[in-house]
Amino acid sequence: MEFFTVNELKKAFTNGEVKEEILKGINLSLKKGEMTALVGASGSGKSTLLTIAAGLQPASDGQILFEGKNINTMNQEQIRKIRASKFGFVFQFAHLVPFLTVEEQLMLMLDVSESRLNKHEQKSEVNRILKLVGMDHRKTAYPSSLSGGEKQRVAFARAIIHQPMVLFADEPTASLDSKRSKEIMSLIRDLTKNLNITTLMVTHDEEMLPYTDRIIKMSDGLILQNFEPQAKS
Amino acid sequence: MNLAWKEVKKNKLRFLILGSIIFLISLLTFIISGLANGLSQDNAALVKDLPDGQFYMNADADETYNLSRIDRHIQEKLLTSQKDVAALSIQMGFLNDKNDKQQSVAFVTSTESKMFENVKPGEIILDRSMEDKGIKAGDILTNNQFSGEFMVKGFVDQKKFSHAPVAFIHIENYKEMYRVGEMQLIFVPGQDKAQEADGLQSFSKKEFLDTIPSYNAEQMSLNMIVWFLVVISGMLFAIFFYMMNVQKIALYGILKAIGLKTSALFKMMWTQMLFITGIALGLSAALIQGFNMFAPEEIPFRLTIETISLLSMVFFIIGFIGATLSGVQIKKIEPLQAIQQGEV
Ligand SMILES: Nc1ncnc2c1ncn2[C@@H]1O[C@H](COP(=O)(O)OP(=O)(O)O)[C@@H](O)[C@H]1O
Ligand SMILES: [Mg+2]
Repeated sequence: MEFFTVNELKKAFTNGEVKEEILKGINLSLKKGEMTALVGASGSGKSTLLTIAAGLQPASDGQILFEGKNINTMNQEQIRKIRASKFGFVFQFAHLVPFLTVEEQLMLMLDVSESRLNKHEQKSEVNRILKLVGMDHRKTAYPSSLSGGEKQRVAFARAIIHQPMVLFADEPTASLDSKRSKEIMSLIRDLTKNLNITTLMVTHDEEMLPYTDRIIKMSDGLILQNFEPQAKS
Repeated sequence: MNLAWKEVKKNKLRFLILGSIIFLISLLTFIISGLANGLSQDNAALVKDLPDGQFYMNADADETYNLSRIDRHIQEKLLTSQKDVAALSIQMGFLNDKNDKQQSVAFVTSTESKMFENVKPGEIILDRSMEDKGIKAGDILTNNQFSGEFMVKGFVDQKKFSHAPVAFIHIENYKEMYRVGEMQLIFVPGQDKAQEADGLQSFSKKEFLDTIPSYNAEQMSLNMIVWFLVVISGMLFAIFFYMMNVQKIALYGILKAIGLKTSALFKMMWTQMLFITGIALGLSAALIQGFNMFAPEEIPFRLTIETISLLSMVFFIIGFIGATLSGVQIKKIEPLQAIQQGEV
């Protein structure tokens, strides 16, 4: 089932007098539970596409249909609600809240998504997810005392604790060494599969591609190729 | 989740610094305001502490009480027109103590009245500050314009005029010293509107204070200092809250990205502002109250609870406006900004 569709999406930035078209008409759709990788040269517009799809910035033209509604015409509050309860985010850096412990980061996310769990259930859910990402032993640590890989695990836990429908990930391993990268990547893959979360991920990591269900290659604001990894290799 | 409190707890030092600044600035404002008030009290407590009412002096006295001579018939008419009306005269002068040391005082005499001290001829009642000059009840004081002697009958609190302690003497003694039959002033308490009286000019308490040489200029400068301080402190508050917010733009962006409402961010900022300002103002108000109680007598310092509360309210409002104005940027922050800025 296609429940997330992007139609003729365009984005232009004006730098002073110059108007630059970064996305020139993107069409794609995500299938429920699938992991889609966005690849392409630096500057080809991958991050712009991802953040627009995630409701983090507006498009210039086109549609982003999520559960049948066009995100591009919603107001700020409607988009915020979707971001808070239906989307999860991981970026190159963890962007954890510096004054919250690992546990509190996840509790905050449950708060923001207006989780219907009571406090007790929330706590045990936080414990469960932290176990899944292998961070339950650092529950009371603050971000400043975590390594890069550990932070990314917590960021990922925060992105999925509220059981989002779509996970947006922009080069989540770019700041990690190759060993940590592989760990995080397989973690993301396994967990999103288990939890049936649809994933759109920008990645440079060639090694990750075989695990994805679909690869979309971008070039210069357009989609160059859209294929399944097995078919290529 | 109480983000505001969690942040304060984790970043104690940063909030301690902000709190100390608010504490110090408000303390400074309290001190200056207390001194201004104290000076004004020192200048004119005799008049300031009277009940509300109207002063009358001669219309052709050029608004100078010293030049006023009130006609005896008019005085009689006014004195009998209402209860508690008093006629009084004030002259700056000197008293010599038993060591022949001169003490500057303001001689005050009045007709029978509850608002002023009344003494028998040859007696004198002094402002309590004279005690510090070594004068005791029963001492004999002299004045070179006065043939007799004054016996100190006692002391009263907070009777000052033109920065000098007041000395209450009997009308007859006053007449002898200054060779005048008439009184300078009539005070009618409880009157907020002047009544017409032939040849007299009326002054409210405040208007009368302004006729005292130096009082007006002194008060104006002091009040200006206090209000400038308040305005400058307010701007400082706003700047500090602004700088705190600027430092936190990335954080606000992230919180917005994961779906926090802008109003939740404002609440967080307001809670912190109220918390820090409340503690800082509470501490400085307590400290200044302590100082008020234990301040040495020589320092004219007077700060009422009302003034402290008023200034605190002003600080709260200014701090709130400052924080809110600087918080307008929170509204403008794009979640993406923070993500693109890299690691927080
Ligand atoms: N806010 C912006 N203002 C102006 N230009 C932008 C902005 N964001 C991205 N761009 C430009 O859009 C192009 C694509 O950027 P991006 O989507 O980040 O590429 P990628 O993620 O594929 O490396 C780049 O040339 C970049 O400079
Ligand atoms: Mg990018």
